[in-house]
Amino acid sequence: MSAAEPIIRLTGVTKRFGRTVAVDDVTIDVPRGRCLGWLGPNGSGKTTLIRCMLGLARPTSGTIHVRGREVPRDVRAALAGVGAIVEEPRFYPYLSGRRNLEVAAGFVGGGAFARIDGALARVDLTRSAALAVKKYSLGMRQRLGVARCLLSDPELLILDEPSNGLDPAGMAEFRRMIRSFVELDGRTVFVSSHLLDEVEKIADDIAIVQSGALVAHGTVADLLAGGAATVRLRVDDPGRAAGVLGGLGFVTGIEARERRTLDVSLERVDDESAIALTRALVEAGVGVAEVVRRAESLEERFLEITGAPLVEPEERRA
Amino acid sequence: MTRALLRTIVGRKGSFLGTAGVTFAAVVVVAVVLVVVHSLRPGRNPSIGGQPMLDGVAGAVWLLGGVGAIVIGALAGSYDVAQGTMRYLVLTGVHRIGMYAARTTALVTAVLLALGPALLLGVLLVFVLPRGPEAGVKPSELGDVLWTCVLWPTVFAVIAMGIGSLLRSNGAAVAIALFFAFAAAPLLGLVSAASKTLGDLMLLPALDRVTGGDDGAPIPAAAAAVVGWVALFWAAGAVRIRRDEY
Repeated sequence: MSAAEPIIRLTGVTKRFGRTVAVDDVTIDVPRGRCLGWLGPNGSGKTTLIRCMLGLARPTSGTIHVRGREVPRDVRAALAGVGAIVEEPRFYPYLSGRRNLEVAAGFVGGGAFARIDGALARVDLTRSAALAVKKYSLGMRQRLGVARCLLSDPELLILDEPSNGLDPAGMAEFRRMIRSFVELDGRTVFVSSHLLDEVEKIADDIAIVQSGALVAHGTVADLLAGGAATVRLRVDDPGRAAGVLGGLGFVTGIEARERRTLDVSLERVDDESAIALTRALVEAGVGVAEVVRRAESLEERFLEITGAPLVEPEERRA
Repeated sequence: MTRALLRTIVGRKGSFLGTAGVTFAAVVVVAVVLVVVHSLRPGRNPSIGGQPMLDGVAGAVWLLGGVGAIVIGALAGSYDVAQGTMRYLVLTGVHRIGMYAARTTALVTAVLLALGPALLLGVLLVFVLPRGPEAGVKPSELGDVLWTCVLWPTVFAVIAMGIGSLLRSNGAAVAIALFFAFAAAPLLGLVSAASKTLGDLMLLPALDRVTGGDDGAPIPAAAAAVVGWVALFWAAGAVRIRRDEY
């Protein structure tokens, strides 16, 4: 398998539960050595797709290739180089962290036993390894889950909502860990989340899903560049300014705001557009007090793409 | 893999150590009762060890060990799915039926480990405690008791594991497995009222026959019947394991 070949290739993957479509015709290639954020609201089919990718559930239609092997047909070979946390890491609560890893190593085989100490050290659980897992905090269990993933020395890590329930410090630590897997180890990380801020901070590429369908995919910069570009102007005569700007070909929209301010949508926000816009106003005798470029945030871009908030209303209330 | 699964079964101290402890304690209680009975009326109860002790050990381990083995087996079948750890075992890429077979081996090993201390103590007491010539134990009698005390719990443990794998819920698995052992299986014996031949192939008569019972189907047929009953429940669990999504 060549390095250029995607580590995950999904082609027209659909998963239905009765009449409900959980995953809707998803096609995507995930390149090696990068972190892909799989971003979508709760209930958008993120976990279902991951379960299909890992052979835990069968897609209704479409094909899945992981590490060049078709899943579920060749799932054993495909998963040999994959570590995953799905929904939340589960363990035998009555066994210690180390014992849990030994159980997992017994299944993984190969050099898994020899990797236990290193994996515990990597997630900073060496000192707690002898403690029963039922005494672990959620953050410790998440880290132990990552340690279990590392036992197979995976080239691909699939992490489903890994920062769920973590406090800010725990989330920051988790981000550092995930980035180190990509930057230091050269592993590929596929991380699903409904936390936009989290994904923006750790992912190289982002895929946005809505109602099971992939609606956008690209690097963070690409996604933002595809969004609406605006310039906020403060002028002495908004009415006259709107008339002048309306005659410019690259202006796609004008919205008047309070305090003699206009939000002007442009085809693109760059130096040339800003200069042309300002010159036209000045030449028409409009006084320009302020010009501010406004790049869309990823959240605004998400709203624009999906037309829905990332966090469901009930979650917002919570 | 078998060793890893054995670790998970043995690690459930409530069921594993509970079974080991209760059967061991039961053998101690049998010995204490025999000592007390002997000391109260030595003429009528001249022996503590030998046959009386062997009978007591057989009853205690057969019944209590059987109950414990059923609980161990039911949990072996249901726990991983109920706890959510099954997903992570499957994620290692191991063959599901291979894992199920390894779990069966681990379960049988765990049952033997749980009953072993009680049986060892019982055998020791049979020969160490004072006994008269009327209470002598032949090697074949000892062998029959040990075989019975091992086979019955093991058979019901594997059946319980099949039930546990089928139901995927710890409480339901234990309850249904106990119900099968103590209600459904005896009721199946009523088949003999309609057909003696068929009735002899029900689980309890067949098990009784292969563990020294005098009456019933020919031993090969009885053995095949026992294997068939175990295979039936085992296969039901295997189908569920193979088909389920996690």
